[in-house]
This record gives sequence, structure tokens and C-alpha cells, in this order.
Amino acid sequence: MTSDKATRPKAAKDPYHWSARGFIAPGVLGVAVLLYVPLLWTTFISFTEYNGLGDPEWIGVENYVEMFDDPAFLGSVLNTLLWVGGTLLVPVGIGLGIALLTWNLKGGTWLRLPFLIPYAVSGIGVAVIWSFILGSGGALDQALGAFGFSDTPRWLVDAPLNTVVMILATAWQGVGVNALLFTIGLQSIPKEPLEAARIDGAGGFRLFRSILWPMLRPLTAVVVGLSIVASLKTFDIVQGMTKGGPGRDSETLALTMYKETFVNSEYGLGSAIAVFLTIVTLAAAILYLRQQLSSKHEG
Amino acid sequence: MPSKSTAPPFKSTARVIRTAVLAVLGLLWLIPVYLLIINAAKAPETFTTTHSWRPTDFSLLSNIGEAMRLSGLADSVLSTLVYAVVSPVIAVLVGAAAGFAIVALRLRHGFAWFVAIFGGTVFPLQMILLPLFDAYSRMNLFDTRLGMILVYTAISIPFSAFVMRNFFTGIAHNVFEASVLDGASTGRIFFRVYLPMASSALVAIFILQATFIWNDFLLGLVLSQSDTVRPIVTSLAGMQSTYGGAQMSTVLAGGLLVSLPTVVLFLCTQKFFSRGLALGQY
Repeated sequence: MTSDKATRPKAAKDPYHWSARGFIAPGVLGVAVLLYVPLLWTTFISFTEYNGLGDPEWIGVENYVEMFDDPAFLGSVLNTLLWVGGTLLVPVGIGLGIALLTWNLKGGTWLRLPFLIPYAVSGIGVAVIWSFILGSGGALDQALGAFGFSDTPRWLVDAPLNTVVMILATAWQGVGVNALLFTIGLQSIPKEPLEAARIDGAGGFRLFRSILWPMLRPLTAVVVGLSIVASLKTFDIVQGMTKGGPGRDSETLALTMYKETFVNSEYGLGSAIAVFLTIVTLAAAILYLRQQLSSKHEG
Repeated sequence: MPSKSTAPPFKSTARVIRTAVLAVLGLLWLIPVYLLIINAAKAPETFTTTHSWRPTDFSLLSNIGEAMRLSGLADSVLSTLVYAVVSPVIAVLVGAAAGFAIVALRLRHGFAWFVAIFGGTVFPLQMILLPLFDAYSRMNLFDTRLGMILVYTAISIPFSAFVMRNFFTGIAHNVFEASVLDGASTGRIFFRVYLPMASSALVAIFILQATFIWNDFLLGLVLSQSDTVRPIVTSLAGMQSTYGGAQMSTVLAGGLLVSLPTVVLFLCTQKFFSRGLALGQY
């Protein structure tokens, strides 16, 4: 990063001034027109009453007041928190476990393969498979029935069970990439401290706690941060499996935003939810970036 | 990824247990894949919702053919291929040009411009959905392939610029100076010197973005309507809610058809893929 500034000729003599501007212009323009202008427009709309016809009418923070009074919104916040916690616990946790189990193991690459297959499946693809498995009388109920459990819960109907099983379906999809990232992290750990620790008699859990975990910390921060940001935006799998239902029981913030905006044509309220979601996401991103930066200084 | 270390970090008796645990867990992970394949292969007439675990037919191809006809999946395949190729190619070039301007041409306030471009990826998509829908409707871009390509390209640019700037930072600046002494123009240096050197990073970004676009649901849901424009995952979701009850095996075949390309691409390019992820994160 420092090389950007070093040994640069004075700006007036810079022969590439215009050509540099020309090279960066398409990127800046594309991002400005299609991402930043819409972003500002959504923020503006969140302070207005608007349904797409006529002009937006300024109503101050009324949408935000309405939003926090709405039990459906508060339920959606709770579900989203469940998603954030659940996807940290299950896919990240199991991913780390698989990376540790396959680490330095003969055939580890092959043993990791089953977990990687679901990763590139789309959220809707996952929803199609798991709706089939979890539906009433579906594959899971049949399997449980064979073992004598006939009174199975309604997996996709009872809340909050439906959110929990959808988190597990997401875990099925996401474990592999977390395992892959942790594996890259484990491979970059220098051998010397490991040898030293082993000579000292450390093994198993102690080795993990005293050497591996501290050395994996920067990578863990990245994986955790990515997981939080992704789970806050959960949409596809819920829309594909329960459509936020029954009623509004399994809605996440992204789903509530979609419904208010595009189903109820409450553009102002929908935009307020989008702004709320963005603030929460940014707060989470900043928290994890700070952690990542501070851990970089240590290494 | 074989290890070069001679002494394993855990006792060798533990290896058997580790392998066994992984094998069992791996089989568990493959069960949904098994269920998908055998049930997608059942003819709609023999398909029942009461015997999901036993394979009965081998009608996978005819089910896929039927899925292509239902809900316009065949039209979607074609448009989605266009989106998943054209948008990442443009985004990779635009991102590389931005990285080139900042690193090689030493654009004034380059880092600030970089942050401005990269910042576009920090916000959730929800912040741009409504204005895009509104503006697209007014500008006759709603439900057009051009509209889809534009938005897919724009959201792919920040990541591409991020990776390419990092990549070009690793190239010594005297490569640029030497090319200038040879009398090459900046355009020529970009296309003939810098892009070829970056080919592995370009491929990594392309694969990641193509997968992302192929798997997109939300943008397709909001910005398109007709079978010919709708991306494939959005069509699959429509098919699931329309035919999920009556023609389940066809829907499952559709799910298999939609998932196969990205899964195969990902498994074949794991190395590139994880490198792309790693490049994007450090």
C-alpha cells in the first residue's frame, strides 16, 4: 500500500494523469450509477410515503416508528438473530472440525469432497432438495417411521423449529467452504512451533488450544465475519422453503423487506427495513474488520 | 493437498478414528444428494411420496426434458449462460483496468478511488432493489437481458477491482517502466503485459462471479418476469411453487439440472476457487 505514494513524480509532470483516469472511469461509473445512486435513493425513500405512483411524500421518521411497532418486524429481527447465531455455531463449527480432522490425514482431500459438493448449489436448489426431505411424510419422516417414530414434528410448519431446520440445511451447504478455508489456514501454520509443542508432549486438545487456535485466529475472524454478514442477508433458502410462513413466523429481515416492498407496495417501510438491515450489517462488518486489522499487527 | 511433514501431529492410532468419523459424516452429507438423484429419476407416474429411499426408475433424462419445458427452464438456461459469461468478463476487465490505473499508472488519490469502488460491495443488495426496479420500469430496462447484464456486471466490479489491485501490487513497477521505454502505449501495456501476467487471478475471479451469477435468485426475482429473461434459479423457484405438489420428480430433476453446472465447475476448479476466495480475503 505504501508503494502507491512512494517515488511518484509531481502531479503536474505526471504523464499518465488522464490515462489513469480513463482506466478507472468505467469501474467508478458502473459502481456509482448502479450501486451508489440506488443506495442513496433507498435511504431517501425510507423517509417518505411512496408506492411507485406519483411522487414520494416526505414523512420524516414515521416509517421507522411504524417498523419498530410492528410485531412482524420484531419477530423477523429475532429470526435473523437466530440465523446469525445458528450459522456461526453449526457450519463454522463443523467446518473447523472437518478441517482439523482432515489435517495431515492421508486421503484428507477425498474425505473432504462430500462436504464440498453442496457448496456450489444455489440457495433455491438447497431449498428444493430439503423441502422434499422435510415435507410432511417426506424422506425424513419415512426414515423416522421405520424406526418407530410416527409422531414426528411438522418440520417446516412449527416455529421456531422451521428456522432451526433451515439453518441445518444451510449448514449442509456451507460446511465445505468453511472447512476449505480453515484447511488453507492450517496449511500455512509454520511447522517449527508444532514440532516444539509436540516434543513438550502437547497433543490433541492441548495442541489445538495452545498453538492451532491462536494461529488460526486471523482466519477465524474472516470466516466468522463472512458468516455473520451472509446470515444477516438470508433470503433464498427461506423464500424457497417456507416463504417466511406459516403466516410471518419464519421471516428474516431480507424477506420482510421484500414483502413490504414488492408484495405490499409499502416502498417507504420496505426501504426503512433495508436501511436498518444495512446499518446492522455495516456494524458487524466494521467490528470484524477491526478485529482482523488488530490481529494482523500481531502477526 | 498431501502434507510434507514427516511426523504427524496426532498419534497414529487416532488416524483410524479420524478417518472413520470423516467417512461416516461424509456419507451422511451425501444422503440428500442420493435422495435427489433417485427421486429425480422416477417417472411422474410411479413417483410416490411414501417411498423416497428406494430407486425405482431411470427416467432422469426424460424428467430433465420435461423440466426444461415446464416454466420455461430451457429459455432460462440460455439467458443465464449469457449473464454468467458476459457480466463476469466485463467486470473482470473493468476491475483490472481500475487496478491498473491505481497501481501501474499511480492514479492520484488512487487508494480513495479504490475504497470508493470496493465500498459498493459492503451493502446488502436490499439497498438497491427498489430503486433499480423503479428506474428499470421507467427506462424500459425491466425484464430485459441488457438490464440483467448491467446489474450483474456492476455488482461483480468491486470484488474484481479488489483482487486485481492486490494482484498488480505484486508486480514490480519497473515492468511498467521497461514497457514505456519500449515505446508501448498505456493501452498496449495493459492488454499485452499486465492482463496476460494476471491470467490466473482473472480466471479465479471469473469462476467465482460466474457461479455467483448462475446461482442468483433475488435480482432475477425483482428485475425480470418473462421466461426468456428470467435467470434459471428464479425459474426453478417458480417451478417449485407451481408444480411442487403434482410433479415433484420433475421439479427435482429441474433442481439437479440447475445445480449440476456450478457443482461440476466448482469441483473441477477447487484450486482456483479457493485461491480466489483467499485473494479476496487478505
